[in-house]
Amino acid sequence: MRMSNFNYLVKRGVGSVFRNGMMSIASFFVLLVSLLLIGLSVLVAMDIGVIMSNIEEKNEISVYVYGDVDQTTLNHITDALNENPNRLNVVFYSKEQAWEDKKNEMSEYKELFDYLTENPMPHTFRVTVKDISLISETAEEFSTIEGVEKVVAPYDFASALVNIRSTLTIIAGAILIVMIATSIIIIYNAIRSSVFSRSKEINIMKVVGATNSFVKIPFFIEGMFIGVAAGAASWAITKVTYEALVQLFRDDITIWRIFGLADMIQFDTVTWYVLAANCVLGALLGAIGTIISTGKYVRV
Amino acid sequence: MVELKNVDVHYVDGVKGGVDALNDVNIRVNDGEFVFIVGDSGAGKSTLLKLLTREIQPTSGRVFVNGYNLSKLRNRKLPYFRRSLGMIFQDFRLIPTLTVYENVAFVLRVIDKSKKYIRQRVPYVLDLVKLNDKAKAYPGQLSGGEQQRVAIARAFACDPKIIIADEPTGNIDPRLSYEIVELLQDINECGTTVIMVTHNHDLVKYFGGRIINLKEGSIAFDGFIEGE
Repeated sequence: MRMSNFNYLVKRGVGSVFRNGMMSIASFFVLLVSLLLIGLSVLVAMDIGVIMSNIEEKNEISVYVYGDVDQTTLNHITDALNENPNRLNVVFYSKEQAWEDKKNEMSEYKELFDYLTENPMPHTFRVTVKDISLISETAEEFSTIEGVEKVVAPYDFASALVNIRSTLTIIAGAILIVMIATSIIIIYNAIRSSVFSRSKEINIMKVVGATNSFVKIPFFIEGMFIGVAAGAASWAITKVTYEALVQLFRDDITIWRIFGLADMIQFDTVTWYVLAANCVLGALLGAIGTIISTGKYVRV
Repeated sequence: MVELKNVDVHYVDGVKGGVDALNDVNIRVNDGEFVFIVGDSGAGKSTLLKLLTREIQPTSGRVFVNGYNLSKLRNRKLPYFRRSLGMIFQDFRLIPTLTVYENVAFVLRVIDKSKKYIRQRVPYVLDLVKLNDKAKAYPGQLSGGEQQRVAIARAFACDPKIIIADEPTGNIDPRLSYEIVELLQDINECGTTVIMVTHNHDLVKYFGGRIINLKEGSIAFDGFIEGE
């Protein structure tokens, strides 16, 4: 196809957006609502992931060391803990520090501590893990390190968290699939109405010998144009809504902090990804919807 | 050239068991001929036109148009075959959102002609149908006769070997019908074959020429009559 004729088809596609004003507006809003639902679902799913990670990071394994170990053994244990691939952070809690903390904690029984000549508290390492589902295996590995007396980990809580995370992932995935499927059906129907109203035009094109691609290119461009516009609008609405929500959780309601909602993803850090994803998804949905919808009328 | 050899068209109908639209039809139209196809409603005229444009396939028999064997024509070649035809319809079938100029230019874009060619060809064919002064008008702003002249200009724009006109005078003032046929005759004189379907017997009697009369799916008459 000559470039001049291709340009003509592109112009015709863009022109159709404005010529078929009401149909374009209807398709635009259908796409906008679909993209908003999909976009917000993804953001909420990402936030749930972040919040769960924050809760998980607060769970730590306590590694107790025998009371009579020397500095070399302590160094060896530190190295061994740091070498474990599942460790996130290792904090050493000395027996002296533990003794002082215990005294402060039980200050009303201060005189009782005077009878003890020796510090009974052990050296402890507090280890946070990357993957909480592997907490049992990690704790088991720690217990085999020479000089380690006992390892304590929140096995039940970790297992509950893993279950909650898998359930939430399945729910979020299912919601996303339903949203995308519903959007495609609604978009297909909206665009089909638009194409139907111009079936006569398509028929004329076919009768005068237009190829299928010649007929489809303007509709394709039109669908993409509306899709990109809806994507950009969806991004703007998502940005305003999401930033307002983040602000609400951060400043006003302290109870949300307990659930980790103050740590929600900052929109600014993902703004370009959200814009690109909205526009690309909008263009794809618009273009694919148009191609499927025109298919039936092209067979003349 | 158009040739139909022993063509039968049977429409399947679940309730009535089917309808024979055409029975053993044999027609040959040579290059440069002007043929009227006449017949009452249900005689098979529309079916015959649909066969010629490959909208339908015959139940049996063979159809050749412009060197294409339509029974063997693949769907992806169909647009290229249709470009060798010029179609004129009773309801004009102009694109309402395009101007007269753009409607005619549109078919040239379909066949991928250059900008320069389009700029030369469109005024030429609009001049032929005496509508150069309406080039910027939209179809809705024109009378029925003028719209049909635009449709003729569009059909002729890509210089087809055959023009098929389906009741081209059906939606216009009877007085203007004669002008439309005269225009088609002018085009025919340039060497283009014209096949015109009509139920207007007065028009056929007035112009004369080769007449094919269809009756209940068969050819009742195929011959020449003198014009008035």
